[in-house]
Amino acid sequence: MAPAAPKSGDVIFASVDRVNAELFTLTYGAIVRQLITDLEEVEEVNKQLDQMGYNIGVRLVDEFLAKSSVSRCVDFRETADVIAKVGFKMFLGVTASVTNWDADGTTCSLILEDNPLVDFVELPDTCQGLHYCNILSGVVRGALEMVSMKTEVTWLRDMLRGDDVFELQVKLLKQVPEEYPYKDDE
Amino acid sequence: MIVCVAVVGHQNNPLYIQSFTKADDSLKLHHIVHCSLDVVDERVNNPKKSGLIINETFLGLLNPTENYKVYGYLTNTKVKFILVTTDLEVRDADARVFFGRFHTAYVNAVSNPFHIPGKKITSRKFAERVSTIVKSFGLSSSS
Repeated sequence: MAPAAPKSGDVIFASVDRVNAELFTLTYGAIVRQLITDLEEVEEVNKQLDQMGYNIGVRLVDEFLAKSSVSRCVDFRETADVIAKVGFKMFLGVTASVTNWDADGTTCSLILEDNPLVDFVELPDTCQGLHYCNILSGVVRGALEMVSMKTEVTWLRDMLRGDDVFELQVKLLKQVPEEYPYKDDE
Repeated sequence: MIVCVAVVGHQNNPLYIQSFTKADDSLKLHHIVHCSLDVVDERVNNPKKSGLIINETFLGLLNPTENYKVYGYLTNTKVKFILVTTDLEVRDADARVFFGRFHTAYVNAVSNPFHIPGKKITSRKFAERVSTIVKSFGLSSSS
């Protein structure tokens, strides 16, 4: 029997290994800064961050499933809830809220009021097009793809650009049916 | 009233200087800050004569002029903070508290990944925080 899905990630968060928040923030800052120096184009940096996040996400989802022992989600609403309440808490230490559902239940927004990645950060005028936290959208996209959901994740609001919260829009494009790589009779 | 604060790098290059007077005397204030840097150097190079305790970041009163009092603070990375005030009765403890908060603001500003160490501090957030600190001290000393 599968254990019931935890309501929040607090319990798991208390048991996982943690790293100093400032070290984490400064490391991420250094990565972004280096990407800007190397790639020069802000658009390229956004793409690269998203790709890095994707690569993290496809690996991270396994750890998430193993440690959180959540059961299978029945629909996309529950998936979004688990990401916001358990996933974000487990890996980022903050909880997101889920709002702005559309009628079909395929698009929603994850609202982050607090984001440890952006402590100290202030975007200079030359980098106004930069999605500083684009790595997060990549992580969500990568993780969902590994559990057979094709999604599109975009930033709608960004505190670094003067908005009051971070808003991450997650749009379910299609659910890929699980395919077995072999046939039964082989 | 605090009229001017400045952050000066370890090669005596100005990183941030902001005056808080309405009158157009910023040049004079810059001059005062500039002069006080020599006093800082002197104190640091002759710690015995000036009675400075090693590892103490607060340098105390640097040079009282007719209208101004100048206080200094030296971080362990040799960045100097200079405070110019018109208050004639300033308690050392208050100045220490001011520099403590100023130091925190400075640390947060240089932790911005887009800040290049040794270059001028252009952060708007830092400027806001500094003026908040300055304002809070202006109120407490005048009341």
